[in-house]
Amino acid sequence: MVSKNKNPENPEKDGVSRRSFLQGAGAAAAAAGVARIPETVIAGQNGVATPEVLGPEAESIQLKVNGADKKASAPPSTTLLDFLRNDVGVTGPKRVCDRGSCGACTVLLDGQVVDSCSMLAIDAVGKEITTVEGIGTPDNLSRLQKAFIEKDALQCGFCTPGMVVSCTALLEENPKPSRNQIREGLSGNLCRCGTYQNIIEAVEHVSRKGG
Amino acid sequence: MPKEIQIKVGFGDQFRDLTVRIQDDDVKPWQPGDRLNLIGQSTPRVDAVAKVTGTANYSYDQKPKGMIYGKILRSPHGNADIVSIDIDKAKKLPGVRAILTAPEIFEDESARYAGAEVAAVAADTEMQAEAALRAIEVEYDIKPHCVTVEDARKEGAPQVGRGEQVNVARISPRQRRGRRGSNSDMDERLARQEAAVGKVIQDSDVVVEGEFSTQVQTHAPLETHGSVCSWEDGRLICWASSQATFGFRNELTSNWGGVRAKSCQILSEYVGGGFGSKFSAGREGVLGALLAKEAGVPVHLMLDRSGEQLSAGNRPDSLQQMKMGVNKDGVIQGTRIRSWGTPGTGTGGAGAHNDGIYNIGEVDKIEYGVRTNTGGAKAHRAPGWPQGAFALEQMMDMAADEIGMDRVEFRKKNDEHPIRKVEYDIAKDRIKWNRSLTRNGSAEICQGLGIASNLWFSAGGGGASALVRITKDGQVEVRNGAQDIGTGTRTVMGMVVAEELGLEMNQVATRIGNTDDPQGPASGGSTTIGTVTPAARLAAFHAKKELMEIVADRKGWDASELDLKDQEVWRIGEGSTGMTFESACALMDDDAIEVLKGRPRRNYEGFSDTNAGVQAAHVEVNQATGAVKVLKVVAVADAGKILNPLTSESQVRGGVIQGVSFALFERRIMDRQKGRMLNDDFENYKMLGSMDCPEIDVVLLDVYNGKSNTQVMGLGEPPIVATAAAVANAVSDALGVRMYDLPITPKKVLEAIAKRDAAKEVPAQKKGERL
Repeated sequence: MVSKNKNPENPEKDGVSRRSFLQGAGAAAAAAGVARIPETVIAGQNGVATPEVLGPEAESIQLKVNGADKKASAPPSTTLLDFLRNDVGVTGPKRVCDRGSCGACTVLLDGQVVDSCSMLAIDAVGKEITTVEGIGTPDNLSRLQKAFIEKDALQCGFCTPGMVVSCTALLEENPKPSRNQIREGLSGNLCRCGTYQNIIEAVEHVSRKGG
Repeated sequence: MPKEIQIKVGFGDQFRDLTVRIQDDDVKPWQPGDRLNLIGQSTPRVDAVAKVTGTANYSYDQKPKGMIYGKILRSPHGNADIVSIDIDKAKKLPGVRAILTAPEIFEDESARYAGAEVAAVAADTEMQAEAALRAIEVEYDIKPHCVTVEDARKEGAPQVGRGEQVNVARISPRQRRGRRGSNSDMDERLARQEAAVGKVIQDSDVVVEGEFSTQVQTHAPLETHGSVCSWEDGRLICWASSQATFGFRNELTSNWGGVRAKSCQILSEYVGGGFGSKFSAGREGVLGALLAKEAGVPVHLMLDRSGEQLSAGNRPDSLQQMKMGVNKDGVIQGTRIRSWGTPGTGTGGAGAHNDGIYNIGEVDKIEYGVRTNTGGAKAHRAPGWPQGAFALEQMMDMAADEIGMDRVEFRKKNDEHPIRKVEYDIAKDRIKWNRSLTRNGSAEICQGLGIASNLWFSAGGGGASALVRITKDGQVEVRNGAQDIGTGTRTVMGMVVAEELGLEMNQVATRIGNTDDPQGPASGGSTTIGTVTPAARLAAFHAKKELMEIVADRKGWDASELDLKDQEVWRIGEGSTGMTFESACALMDDDAIEVLKGRPRRNYEGFSDTNAGVQAAHVEVNQATGAVKVLKVVAVADAGKILNPLTSESQVRGGVIQGVSFALFERRIMDRQKGRMLNDDFENYKMLGSMDCPEIDVVLLDVYNGKSNTQVMGLGEPPIVATAAAVANAVSDALGVRMYDLPITPKKVLEAIAKRDAAKEVPAQKKGERL
């Protein structure tokens, strides 16, 4: 049962109203970059904006992945990870925990790291998506990828695509990270084989060389 | 006919000559002073480029034409029998192509743990398959459950199994079956043993005892179990996340689950971790193959994370009671051990190896397996050893402290391993054993050091063949059908061949993970490298011999005087003939030389049958919060001849990290009321992450052990044995109070501190309460 507001005439007197709470939560979430509640929706509390209803049938979705347009038909409830892997065949990002706790599905969205398992493909429309395949190719490895190889920063390799993406973003943001900053940068990525120290060494190797 | 050769065995400054009999076509092990180009040099993995660019295609990534998706329905109940399964509604849903039920496939109506397979669906999309699972109606006969060893051992506890199955069974020494009266003979023998060892312990100068427990740890490989199966004209092609390609194939061609593929190829070029959990195709492998058969199209059936955590394997827990008698000179006289552990709904495989490593005098040991309504245990990286070492090494420190002897000296006194004797001093030196630290004081932050040992048996054995192919245009390839689960086996297989042929790494292609190629072992017991590489070297040696005979024939040289070095043909003792490897290959009449050779079945007599290690941990404990931080672990390891220091070091680091994770964080949490696992995911199943990772200082000893032509021993398992034990000893050293229970959570640390401080206030301590 929903409890009624004790003072319906003046909701603000009871402290936090539902509306102000939502606005606050929305703003905080948007600032942290976790849940992207569009500003128009928040503003829309005072009227306007009926959200467009998509699905449940498949829709045509086109994304820009590693610089190329990739188009496929998928239900709007499809996650970015599943769209990449199942619908357009980009299998570098891995599905491991499927709920944003391991980082194996990490991709860049307009240069920012995101867990692609925990966002919808349709929310990535119009943004630049970079997966590990876009960081470097076997014929044209990035400095970081070369350092991963040299320092043996991989064993079974299943976490590696996410690790490479996270470390690339880390170095982009901070070209000279301290050891602790590297650890923090990696803290969203799990490796079961135990390559953390090697990964840290690989990042430091690039950092020292002014990567 | 074996031939006799003279070799040197040993390490460091301890070498001796040995006459050994080796298989007549085998090649002599590398000798100290041999000029080696690649062996012993850090060499990047041959598959590293594919792995860092996302182009390595794992089973999870396969998408053969027409592929659809399989999903498994699991029982939500702690203990139940399946009465009926109604699939009518599910069948009619869009996209659904095949539905199978577990009772029908496996002829087993029971669902004895929450997570047991009930049915499987294949549909065009994953969402459709999930919708179909929700539409399946199952009627269960729900039975009472018990999900902990404690509950299952209680008098009148619910029966976990069926029929005559009891909850608790002695698994070692085994009950003998079939012979009348033999069980009571066994009982009498055990009673005599208990009395005799009990007397030895009682007559010792000092007696220490403790009860130790360890938790269930899941394997949690990042790539889950499963496969992508495709039937092509009656032949089953299966991309499998497997650490035993040939075993997987043999299961799918057997009668199990009725797959009975007449012909089957397993492909496992890349495997996202195994750690002992991926030896069998498992029920998911059978269901995937049968769904693909019924649907008539390839099926992708890889477990989701919950299914993986619930059903795909774990390290069993343990409860270990230990009692040890020690004389004041430091020699252990006798040890009494009783242990219990749960391997899930069965009873076998939950033993703890707490009587290995040291000489612990006369031993009276009995192990019990306890059935619980939980997901089944599987071999987990050094099965039984980390939990056994934890208990044993706490006892070693307790005993050393009791007689007032240095903890390392006490271990040395009861340890005869020739390699470990040296390793203790290296570990002591690197961890600064005699440094002064803030221990057990009123200070908020205190520190401590701990030491522990490991032992392993991984020289390999028979069961592998390798094919080496040298083409007329100078291409070289080596093939073995076994898998590389991340250990680096593929790379060292290539190194061994390149070394033998005098080539660089990039001149040798490696092909693995394909059961159409020569037989290879399971990645088990850390024996893969010791099994595969001698076969690869032997095949390369004979391929080289054939090539040299061709060269000798054409040039009028003596083949026995020729060798390959630095990519050229050499005359032994004289140097290069100037003929390149490519021009030598061009002299072939045929397209290629192909040599298939099997590894000699037996290992040769050598320096040591076992490989050994010592680890030392340095920890910091916050006495206000109970948080433990492992600052550093020194891991000294022997793995026979070190072929590739780079990947060897990674193996040791990985073992240490999983060991620290076991010591401090990981544990399966069961809801005793509902009978379910509560943390079947990665957000509540805490594993060590980058912030928790200690500095790991690896020291590798290069031992010429003579056991095979490559003399290598595997290194997957040994390094995980000692870590948790060393960490726990270090925590106890820091706090001045013993830790009896893993994982060492902040709560347990605070409880131990409270117990310590309470004991300080009572001047006269009771015996048994001491550290």
